[in-house]
Amino acid sequence: MAEPINVRDLAPGTRIVLVDGGEAEIVDNPADGVWVFARYLSSPRDPALAGQEEMIFAQDVAAIRE
Amino acid sequence: MNGTKGYHPGLVDLDSGEISREIFVNADIYAEEQERVFARAWLHVGHESQIPKPGDYFVSSMGEESVILTRDRTGAIHVFLNSCRHRGMKVCRYDEGSTTVFTCPYHGWSYGTDGRLVGVPYFREAYHAKLDKEKRGLVEVAQLCNYKGSIWANWDKAAPSFQEYLGDFTRYLDLQLDGWDGREAQAELLGGVQKWLVPCNWKFPAENFSGDTYHNISHRSVDLAGIGPSGRSRRDLGERDISRKLHVCIPDRGHQTILYLMPPGEPTPPAYQNAPIVQEYFAHCEAEKRRRRGDYGRFVGAPGEVFPNTALLSRQPRTMAVWHPRGPNQTEVWRWFFVDRDAPSEVKEFLRDYYIRYSGPAGMTEQDDMENWNYAHKASQGVIARRHPYSYEQGMGTAVQDFEWQGLKVPGDVIDITEVQSSEQPMRNLYRRWSEFMAADSWADLATWRRNDRTAAE
Repeated sequence: MAEPINVRDLAPGTRIVLVDGGEAEIVDNPADGVWVFARYLSSPRDPALAGQEEMIFAQDVAAIRE
Repeated sequence: MNGTKGYHPGLVDLDSGEISREIFVNADIYAEEQERVFARAWLHVGHESQIPKPGDYFVSSMGEESVILTRDRTGAIHVFLNSCRHRGMKVCRYDEGSTTVFTCPYHGWSYGTDGRLVGVPYFREAYHAKLDKEKRGLVEVAQLCNYKGSIWANWDKAAPSFQEYLGDFTRYLDLQLDGWDGREAQAELLGGVQKWLVPCNWKFPAENFSGDTYHNISHRSVDLAGIGPSGRSRRDLGERDISRKLHVCIPDRGHQTILYLMPPGEPTPPAYQNAPIVQEYFAHCEAEKRRRRGDYGRFVGAPGEVFPNTALLSRQPRTMAVWHPRGPNQTEVWRWFFVDRDAPSEVKEFLRDYYIRYSGPAGMTEQDDMENWNYAHKASQGVIARRHPYSYEQGMGTAVQDFEWQGLKVPGDVIDITEVQSSEQPMRNLYRRWSEFMAADSWADLATWRRNDRTAAE
């Protein structure tokens, strides 16, 4: 199991990979350790999400795209 | 045997001037108060200067309930119950700050500063995207009022507006929130809110600040030490020598205060003589206030109480306090300190030092009060003590309506205590209204002035 990511550290502009394989870019971070605001770059689950901003739950963040 | 299980009308007997100790120490009555008083009355929550920017918040209390005073992205002010709609966890556990969302640390539900539920973990997966987020926002108060920067809230949508609730008491809250020079809404907070616990029922401080002039003896040591602005007594209060000292009660609202009514044409006696800049500032403001306010510029504020649990002290030291109930045997005191926004920094600094000397858990005057409330409460809890009611007999039958002195009428039930020194009319007024709240089923019964207005019109 991958190490959990501390989403508090994710600055705007950071790209993340989600557990469902989607990708998103952080646009704002309330620094509550639970949520980040991000814009979807892609979503295999729902391609229509691409370009939309949503709140992403910390446990849905799988990796940081280097 | 006492046998009191809860509130009943005989506990407050205003004909005899006797009030049972049960209303202070009885756990059943305390529980009823939360529903009948604190869930229906207007309560002071904070001041808008505590949340100047969008996203700012201040966690306050309404009765026992934790609430969040916040300003949303559009600048609108809200007061929300600080409790997640999922399992009730506090969604904000800081005293104050700034945020974009209030996130519950238990399961992660997240709310915008406008109270909307914006984040639900596994919304699509676990809830199959069917949870109605619109229905699960933070619980918001039924009514909110920003009165000259002070924020008041009410859980009961049937309650009258805040200004109707104040009635003829508005003028006394104005003394607190307007500038010393009479300009409207010039007060700003000085420093943070002081908070501390006192082991007594909340009604002890509430009745004390309603206008208890009888307990001055317990501040004798402070008067002798001379903590006042000019190094004498507790306050610079030359008005005392030339004013009428009044107990003013608004009987159908439950608000009451001490008032010094100055004679017309008489300049305000000097104060702050040891600090020339401060003295000059207040002398200028007093003259301006007389000019702006006309006859009402003769009003000089003193301790008073907005029913049920907000205390005013509009003069020296200029503070407001809320007596938060924390069980029948404990009160959490919150005290806000005020200065004029435009006052010179020297004046603000001077007042800060004076406020610290006087008020708060380490303030020399407030310590005296806490000592009294603490041990009076403790000594009223025993089964023998509870059999013997307190006496509120001072000045019974001596109040007059629409008191007038040198061309100025003062609305309400008024007792001139200039010569007699003291009365217990303010306490009787407080407990009369408290009894009405405890007995009434709804605001239709509590807004007694509407019935009286209708009767007069007929």
